[in-house]
Amino acid sequence: MKAFGYVSAKDVAHAVALLGEHGAKAKILAGGTDLLVELKHAVHNPEIIVDISRLSELKTIAVADDGLHIGALATHGDIMNSSIIRDMFPAMVDAAHSIGAAQTRNLGTLGGNLVTCVPSMDSGPALIALEALVTVASSAGRRQMPLGELFVSPRKTSLKPGDLLVDIVIAKQNLSKPAAFEKFGLRKGQALALVNVGAAFFIDKGNFLCPRIALGAVAPTVIRAPKAEAYLEGRKISAEAMAEAGRIAATEAKPISDFRASADYRRDLVAVLVKRALASAQARAAAKQKELAA
Amino acid sequence: MTDVTMTINGQTRSASVPPETTLLQLLRENFNLTGAKLGCDVGDCGACTVIVDGQAVNSCLMLAGQADGRQVLTIEGLASREHLHPIQKAFENSGALQCGFCGPGVLLSAKALLDDNLDPSTQEIRDALSGNLCRCTGYTKMIEAVQEAARLLREESRTQLTHARPEVATP
Repeated sequence: MKAFGYVSAKDVAHAVALLGEHGAKAKILAGGTDLLVELKHAVHNPEIIVDISRLSELKTIAVADDGLHIGALATHGDIMNSSIIRDMFPAMVDAAHSIGAAQTRNLGTLGGNLVTCVPSMDSGPALIALEALVTVASSAGRRQMPLGELFVSPRKTSLKPGDLLVDIVIAKQNLSKPAAFEKFGLRKGQALALVNVGAAFFIDKGNFLCPRIALGAVAPTVIRAPKAEAYLEGRKISAEAMAEAGRIAATEAKPISDFRASADYRRDLVAVLVKRALASAQARAAAKQKELAA
Repeated sequence: MTDVTMTINGQTRSASVPPETTLLQLLRENFNLTGAKLGCDVGDCGACTVIVDGQAVNSCLMLAGQADGRQVLTIEGLASREHLHPIQKAFENSGALQCGFCGPGVLLSAKALLDDNLDPSTQEIRDALSGNLCRCTGYTKMIEAVQEAARLLREESRTQLTHARPEVATP
């Protein structure tokens, strides 16, 4: 790695001040599992590293009046082990578990996974399906926006130098929405997604209500599948409808061919994984209902 | 330079290193703890695995500065002068290592798992070792060794419990 300066931020205010002062010359170190690789390959050559990995205030996972807050520095391991997330958002536990291996999950953070902004990020689809919001701090104050607006293109977010992603919020009204995450990689461990999918919907008298489908690794960023969602809206829940939604979503995907898989194969995977994610969200809803009835 | 002080294998160690020094470099080059290996250097192979504050991490992906003030366990801290650690004993008994390059990382991943869970399923063992690549063994004997280590550690904890209860009469 090329030489750089290093400051360990004392709190969020300190981190924001440092980022404001150094602007584009600074890089933020959260978990480091992506950043250190990029520094070693000289993808970035920052003058200074602002280490935020000790900011415990950004590791909190808690429910507030407006919904579920996941601190940007919660590691994938923290998410897997959080009783709150296991209970309220099990799709996110599945997504976190599918990332890398134990060593990467112990260091890598949710915020880092989102701002690295690779198309195959496993944290994205379930959060997009639940219409997550993100909070960004800067010297100008805090602002909140839909997670989808963070993603611009591969490895490019809408964050400006000086911005710091501080937390991820699932709005209260979406917390009871059954959701699921499905991924297909070439191996069971340490594999990037060929395709990953998030799906969520309310159940209204046996019909799909507000269905949301998010597709990863098949477009420059995580995308929604609006045609498949429109097809499902108000429709009676059935295996056939789920399969058809999968087929429609496959036409909305814009995958590339690379050494991992061809575009055609990825489109086929979209159809299968959307169907599975919808079925898995439904099974989750049924299990929850049974639990409440018991 | 970044000044770091951390507890490594129970001992307080300090160094002053350039900020771009990884924990792996610090361990190997400053403290001569060469058990953790430099393999891929990008967090894929797990040969550099150490335990920091109870969690297995790739020391090639952690800056020395990030480990400041933390507890680090390397493979050098596993055995005592008198005894191999039960995980090492189990790996020896099972013939679970061949060339051994991946060994320190595999053993520490197994330790992080067993510290948390003394009765892991095969799937849980596979999951815990999935960040450690081995080109010799095919993993089967490693998984058996971790199961054997879990048995040894369960026995050890039962024995300790028995010894801790004075009302249990010795025959």
